Amino acid sequence: MTGAMQNLRKNRTLIITMAILVAVFLIAIQGMSTSDWVITVLRGLSVGAVTFLVASGFSLIFGLMDVLNLAHGTLFMIGAYVGWTAYVRPDSVVDMTTPLALLAAGLVLMPLWDMLLGRLSLSPRLTRFWPWVVVLLALVILALAVPRFPITAWDTAAYDKSPVIYGVQLDQGILTLPEPLKASGAALIISIIGALLGGALLALGLTGFAHRHKTARAAAVPLPWKALVASLVLIIVGLGVYLINDPLTERLINLDTTWRFFLAVVIATLAGVALGGLMEVALIRPLYARPIYQLMLTLGLGVIGREAVIALWGRTQITMPKPALFNAAGKGCPANSLADWLTNRCSTISFLGSRVRTYNELFIILMGIVVLVAVWLLLQRTRLGMVIRAGVQDREMVEALGINVRQVFTLVFALGVGLAALGGVLAGPSMGVSDDMGESLLLLALIALAIGGLTSFPGAAAGSVLVGLLQQFMVKYGQIGISLPFLATPFKPTPPLIPASTVLLMVIILLVMPHGLFGRKE
Amino acid sequence: MENLLEVHDIHTFIGPFHILQGVTVTVPKGSITALLGRNGAGKTTTLKSVLGITPPCQGQVIFDGQEIQGRRTFEISALGIGFVPDYRAIFRDLSVAENLQIAERRKGDLNRNAEMIFGLFPDLKRLIGLRGNQLSGGQQQMLAIARALVADNKLLLIDEPTEGLAPVLIEQLMKAILQLSAETTVLLVEQNFMVASQLAKQYVIIEEGRSVKSGAMADLVHDQETIHRYLGAA
Repeated sequence: MTGAMQNLRKNRTLIITMAILVAVFLIAIQGMSTSDWVITVLRGLSVGAVTFLVASGFSLIFGLMDVLNLAHGTLFMIGAYVGWTAYVRPDSVVDMTTPLALLAAGLVLMPLWDMLLGRLSLSPRLTRFWPWVVVLLALVILALAVPRFPITAWDTAAYDKSPVIYGVQLDQGILTLPEPLKASGAALIISIIGALLGGALLALGLTGFAHRHKTARAAAVPLPWKALVASLVLIIVGLGVYLINDPLTERLINLDTTWRFFLAVVIATLAGVALGGLMEVALIRPLYARPIYQLMLTLGLGVIGREAVIALWGRTQITMPKPALFNAAGKGCPANSLADWLTNRCSTISFLGSRVRTYNELFIILMGIVVLVAVWLLLQRTRLGMVIRAGVQDREMVEALGINVRQVFTLVFALGVGLAALGGVLAGPSMGVSDDMGESLLLLALIALAIGGLTSFPGAAAGSVLVGLLQQFMVKYGQIGISLPFLATPFKPTPPLIPASTVLLMVIILLVMPHGLFGRKE
Repeated sequence: MENLLEVHDIHTFIGPFHILQGVTVTVPKGSITALLGRNGAGKTTTLKSVLGITPPCQGQVIFDGQEIQGRRTFEISALGIGFVPDYRAIFRDLSVAENLQIAERRKGDLNRNAEMIFGLFPDLKRLIGLRGNQLSGGQQQMLAIARALVADNKLLLIDEPTEGLAPVLIEQLMKAILQLSAETTVLLVEQNFMVASQLAKQYVIIEEGRSVKSGAMADLVHDQETIHRYLGAA
């Protein structure tokens, strides 16, 4: 009993702040009809869920390794584009699997190079110099080899073959894919060997960079079998996909859009995980001792990523149609119950007198809750989670217990970027896919984190929900107006006030609680 | 007597500062060796150099017959070295049980050693559900030592265990350290000479980053001149 009282007293600022927020919320919904506030709350939660996917990954990465990953918004956007491609143009993804798998087969050889370089001792000048040469050589080989693969893609320059058109075609159910390209003979062999060699050389160069500051060690490191096996599996996957290219594409294109969408979600998330892991190992890891450089690096990567996306998919916003499960209208729609929706696959459902969109307001919120619970269980119930929670406080001690913290860093970075990519692909059908979708969301996520407490996982969730709700209520009030006691006509917040309101909430909360709602004093 | 740890003439920089300028320490197997010296002499840095947290740029560290300098901290630790830092480093968001579990190197380490750990520190059993930040200073110190005992470590590096503790607790802790030294080897940093002289068999004195004197503790206790010169009034 006294324990509970003590807890209450210790958290009194938090409790009072929460009480005031609830009171403000209750006052805000007073003047609204039930259907209005129900839909606004659901929309707010939906925005909050997407924000949470970006914010939680960002905060995990920042909490554990003090990296402010300013590229997180761009990675969110890349998730959306990768998901779009897997969803709308599965033939291109199948075509690209072969070169990417072969490239990865070379890249996973890094531990092998690490072992071999450990035995080698070169003069310092040579050590400084050769990784650059190898990386350049690798990039040249890759630039020559990879475009030779027959990749059936779109053409951003020609409107009738642009991503915009394919998106619209899928939405109308008249998607027609271009004739698949073919390659054979010497050209194919050269491109396969080129991709493998390029990947292996790139790995060698990157390992070389890491070795510049290491002294050759005497102890014999065992042969990294796992890396060799992984490499072999990737080669088999790459070549195997090439052999069954046509039937695989056929299967994917005939798949129901719902299933293809879930497949796209998985592919985009895995792409995010791979990209995050690669980014940490190759670029972030050498800079842990120099936080400012790291900040500049992630900022620059964000810009580069965005330009790369524009170069590949074009500058125009593209549509990602909703999967069939969330897209039907007409007979039996809007659905009256969940069972109704599942049989008629309605795009909307009636709930407390308002029409709720099943994708935007039900599915996204559900996914947000699923991820919240899953990450919470990971943090609280697994050994990895225990190491992460300990590492947030004291990395040195965790390492002194015999735990390879660097490996945990890579895992967490990959996980954080995977969450952002998942957010991106989920947001695609509701927000539309465009190259600037990441920027605004990263800003929203940062505000949410400042409100919730930068490194707190429950804080990320609470902050995201608050920011989402506030934003959507401002949008709603922009339409219906707030009647204030001292104004004759209802006050309608103008669009610029919407982002301003979230910043204002952040300022107020930080004035009362400088570490955010769930943050702690350092 | 065989030496478990031999540190030969190591030099360590922290940033631009040349902190250790030639430290040699030998730790015989099966007993307690004390690192003595004034504040800022380089005792803690010596422990951290052994573990590779602040890696030495010169010199040799030999643990259990292997050269370990230049290896990464987690690899060194996994060879069988437990670390109890002066700031205790209890994970405050983890429960007492988790603070022990995290030190497992193989599954079942904790179960196997639980009896020994709770035999040394019976209080911990009662606190097992609390979180790290709910413990008092003395309880944290016991947990920090217990954590170093979870994996089967051959060597424990214990930094200032009695700092800031009440006399009753110090006595309790000394008893525990003496008991556990029957099974493992300990390199102990201790400011309190009374404590160090009762626990340790050997000593090494570090002064301004250099090891200046070493030998049997039994001799040092009678050597008032050395005590005054290097350790101040004892």
